[in-house]
Amino acid sequence: MDKNFIPEDYIPILVQSVVAFGFVAVTMLATHFITSKRKRIRTLHKDENFECGIEIKGNARFPFSIRYFLIAILFVLFDVEIIFFYPWAINFSEMEWMGFFEMLLFMFFLLFGFYYIYKKGAFDWKHDE
Amino acid sequence: MNAIIALSALAILTMFFGVIQKKSVLLPLILSGLIIVFFLNVIEWGTFKHYYNEMFIADNFNIAFTAALILTTFLVFIFSALYYRTVKRPLEDIYALMLFSLIGGITMASFGNITMLFIGIETLSISFYILAGSKKFDVASNEAALKYFLTGTFATGFLLFGMALIYGVSGSFNLQAINSYIIANKESIPTLFYAGMILVFVGMAFKIAAVPFHFWAPDVYTGSPTLITAFMSTIGKVASIAAFYRLISITFLNVHDFSVDILMLFAIATIIVGNLSAMTQDNMKRMLAYSGISNSGYLLFAIIAMGPKSAGTLLYFSISYAIATITAFAVIMLVREERGTFSLQDYKGLAKQNPVEAFAMAVAMMSLAGIPPLAGFMAKYNIFSVAMNGGYVWLVIVGVIGSMISVFYYFKPIIYMYFHRADAHKKIETTKAYKIHILLVSILLIILGFLPGLVIGLL
Repeated sequence: MDKNFIPEDYIPILVQSVVAFGFVAVTMLATHFITSKRKRIRTLHKDENFECGIEIKGNARFPFSIRYFLIAILFVLFDVEIIFFYPWAINFSEMEWMGFFEMLLFMFFLLFGFYYIYKKGAFDWKHDE
Repeated sequence: MNAIIALSALAILTMFFGVIQKKSVLLPLILSGLIIVFFLNVIEWGTFKHYYNEMFIADNFNIAFTAALILTTFLVFIFSALYYRTVKRPLEDIYALMLFSLIGGITMASFGNITMLFIGIETLSISFYILAGSKKFDVASNEAALKYFLTGTFATGFLLFGMALIYGVSGSFNLQAINSYIIANKESIPTLFYAGMILVFVGMAFKIAAVPFHFWAPDVYTGSPTLITAFMSTIGKVASIAAFYRLISITFLNVHDFSVDILMLFAIATIIVGNLSAMTQDNMKRMLAYSGISNSGYLLFAIIAMGPKSAGTLLYFSISYAIATITAFAVIMLVREERGTFSLQDYKGLAKQNPVEAFAMAVAMMSLAGIPPLAGFMAKYNIFSVAMNGGYVWLVIVGVIGSMISVFYYFKPIIYMYFHRADAHKKIETTKAYKIHILLVSILLIILGFLPGLVIGLL
């Protein structure tokens, strides 16, 4: 590998940034010229977000229970840990018993975390502080 | 490596005993666990091992700094019983996070690969972000956590970008491989590599709170719970400076001419700004935050000079700074609990009412100021002599001037404690155990002042 770099090596990056900015500029200008020159009419329905044809009700920014957030973040945590099982399953036969016990250790930590949050009351929906 | 495995097990055990509501088991478990980990770490002395494709290097430097970090954590845990004595819940989450950040600190003292450095810094920092906000219903604590998180992630971005540039040029994350790249291409290193180095230095300077990347430190240190401040300002600084030294001594030694200019700028600015800002503070915690900033300036001397005694002096300075800071914070948390503020006025006449605590505070302040025969004096003397041997006379002159300025603000609490009449404050009731602990720590500081050669000779 040739490790001496000169500024010319970075031309692809320059090209990419020019394309990225150029796309934004061109689309904005193009839509400006393509759209009709008639006076724009603003109505209540025209300004609305189009959401599958269903009428919008209220605002999305309202307070909701922190428990939803907690459940969501715990789901992400456990979901990501499952990813470690895929490479392990592929290499299962090569790693033999050592790999099996290492995965058991990993599962132990995972289940300990589950036990911890369970004991901490993360799933206790009835109890309100 | 033993230390990291044992500490992880200890932290998980802590969480387990906390969650089954065994509050009385926690602190004895952690303290005895830390002693065991200390010995597990020390028995590896003299053996040079590396693990996982040189990701983790266990040499004497690592073991010495790991021992220093464990000692510091041990001292912080001793005083946690006093700080949290009114809290009923087991607090296992805070203790476990402190242990996890200690693991991050150990990783930072022993990396052999830049990605490992990044993992260490993140383990340390993410625990700190949570710990800074661990006083949930205090606005100042929340502010500290958010400020630390936002600025910290920004600095991490700089660090990571610098690492990416260095990798892009040298083709490796391994410290030795980067070093051999530098040696092989000494004449034709592209500018991009130096840009990467500067960005990495910015990230590291943020972590040790060196000027001009120190703005987070006063607010974060003031807002966090006092025990956590003591922990952050010692563990964070010692681990970061060890990582910085390791990075430069293994990797960037052959381009040191370039690093010296930047580091000297950092060191001089840090000493001047840190000391001058500390002079005007009335809040003790904020004053110690600025004192921590100015101390990282002195710590940078050893990295700039890179002499044969640099590593040992760095270790000695770190230990003496950590012990003195923890002693000071232990007294501050006591006075704050009784009198409600961190103001200097609260220390009026403390020597009459609480002679033991006032003595400990005085020893800590004099050590930080560098009064012989305390550890702080020997630390400063050695670090100046290392810089002198390296030929950095101007740096030493700035350091001495900064040290003279620092005497002014370090002696303020001593004057308030010993020469001011108390205005209607009652005696602060403490436990006997606390008195013994704080006396032991201040005596440790005095003893350490007589044995600098023992510590410096280690490395």
